[in-house]
Amino acid sequence: MGDEGGFCHERGGNTLETRALSKTYKLGAEDVHALCGVNFAAQQGDFVVVNGPSGSGKTTFLNLLSVIDRPTEGEVLIHGEPTSKKSERQLAMLRRSTIGLVFQTFNLVPVLSAAENVEYPLLLQQLPKPERRTRVAAMLEEVGLADMTRRRPNELSGGQRQRVAVARALVSGPNIVLADEPTANLDSETGGRVMALLQRLNEEHCVTFVVVTHDPAVSAYAQRKIRILDGKLSEEAVDVAVGSAS
Amino acid sequence: MWLSVPLRSLWRNRRRTILSIAVVSLGTAVSLIVLGFVEDSRGQIQQTTVAEYGNLQIASADLWNETSDDYEYLIPPETLEKVEQLLTVDPAYVGRTARLQFPGLLASGSRTQVVQAVAIEPGNGVLDSSSSIISGRDLAPEDTAAVLIGRSLADRLSLDVGDPLIFTLTTAAGAYNATPLIVTGIYRFQSEDAELRTIFLPLVFGQLLFGTSGVDRVVVGLSDLAKTDGARNRIQAGLDGSGIALEVKTWYELSPFYEQLSGFFDALFGFLSLAVTVLVFFIILQVLTLSFLERTREIGTLRALGTTQGEVFRMFFVESAWLALLGALVGVVGGVLFSIAFNAVGIEWRPPGTIDPVTFSIVITPMTVVPPFVVGLVATLISGLFPSIRTSRIRVVDALRVE
Repeated sequence: MGDEGGFCHERGGNTLETRALSKTYKLGAEDVHALCGVNFAAQQGDFVVVNGPSGSGKTTFLNLLSVIDRPTEGEVLIHGEPTSKKSERQLAMLRRSTIGLVFQTFNLVPVLSAAENVEYPLLLQQLPKPERRTRVAAMLEEVGLADMTRRRPNELSGGQRQRVAVARALVSGPNIVLADEPTANLDSETGGRVMALLQRLNEEHCVTFVVVTHDPAVSAYAQRKIRILDGKLSEEAVDVAVGSAS
Repeated sequence: MWLSVPLRSLWRNRRRTILSIAVVSLGTAVSLIVLGFVEDSRGQIQQTTVAEYGNLQIASADLWNETSDDYEYLIPPETLEKVEQLLTVDPAYVGRTARLQFPGLLASGSRTQVVQAVAIEPGNGVLDSSSSIISGRDLAPEDTAAVLIGRSLADRLSLDVGDPLIFTLTTAAGAYNATPLIVTGIYRFQSEDAELRTIFLPLVFGQLLFGTSGVDRVVVGLSDLAKTDGARNRIQAGLDGSGIALEVKTWYELSPFYEQLSGFFDALFGFLSLAVTVLVFFIILQVLTLSFLERTREIGTLRALGTTQGEVFRMFFVESAWLALLGALVGVVGGVLFSIAFNAVGIEWRPPGTIDPVTFSIVITPMTVVPPFVVGLVATLISGLFPSIRTSRIRVVDALRVE
């Protein structure tokens, strides 16, 4: 992870970049262009909110950024390294080492406890058990769930589940966290708390956040706002009150 | 966690897990019970065959191949003595007895029966016939005109112990001979046909009747059934080395019935194992496919978090392996408990061609427990392979879209 505490001031090359990124789906005989030649770049510590109406290509964009899907054309670069020629295994290794994901529907593993869900990425990294335990405890403490480590997902509220998902996304120390509608299944108050948490973690850990949403309230947390419409990206101006939404 | 996550998934889907374990364990238990019964039957037939033939028999190739028109195959006393010397040095040797067989006609009043007379050495422990006697007594070394007849022959000729008979035969030299005999005992065999056609005489008296000082075979008893082949090879080598033109045959070579039945049993168990494997394979395949399909989104999440295809495969295959292990273990335990209970009840049945019922029991040994366990285990593992491979190859974005 990056800086502990305070705002992230580290800026270097692009952490995340896309070049002429396109994604076309076949729908019967028809081609649906979900993304058309998108160029995008985010630096370390950026907090980017991507908004747009339903069907505009937000989730497709996030799937391509998180290298769980491959573009029809163009390139996704992570830390300047192209990903299109990488094998499925190499992409999986890249995700586990570099990217944290937060899903709209939390996507916790139902048979694992909160602590075990958070521990899972560390297990993939084959860290020793004592280190895993320490980092999981610290992360759950950080998201305010230190007393719920043994609870299963079905024993947690929506907000608590999303905080577990955030802890899971951050525990392995990724440089990039990609969140797909992280507040969509939460009430506005809980959603606000989750976004404040993401913002705090962004500041404290200097992690690049890309949050996809159609919720205008989430946009209030952005350092950078990107609008996506009909598969095309446009940068929007950010209010001066950025960072004060929490 | 690679072991505990699959276990927890099984625990979470308890109903499906119980169904899968029930299917695997039922298949395993059925295999175990059938194999236990097959081995019991095989053991009983082995016992009967060895009791009838001994472990080994030594005779001229002419006798075995029926290539002699007269009685050139008879073993003279001096050869018999050399054979005995060879036998006594074999480590598996326990004892031997000599036999002489010849056909004849048995008459009681106006009723006759063609029989095979078997002249034996009374009191020789190698082929102990005393346990087969159901009436009267066994032959004694000092007996002369004494005969043991089968229960079916006694019924056919209305004979009882102490009744007289006339036995007519052609001697080794081709002359006719006849002698009165007294029934000293009635024996029983499993086979009705054997009871009807076989009579036993004392060897010395038989040689006198048949006009020879020789015997047609030497029956050898061994300390252990498992030592049969080794002893045969050693004794045959000894005979060949001594220039004695005799051939050693094992009990199973002498009983084509045993070989056929043993082959049938092997085929029966092989077929059953195949049927169980196929049945378990398709049911578990269906159950696991559905189970894994329901968890598509979970798999998508794991893959998105950086789990490789190989790791997903390992996780799901371990789940199949747990099912296989638990199912096969439950099957073995269930099968063994059922067998113990079944053996305690002691149900009897009468195999075809036999007279007396035998107790239907299920043998429980490592040889009857391990193969069904392996069948249950392997069938389940194979059935888990395909859904595990398919699951690991799901595209992450497609898996995450599944509701």
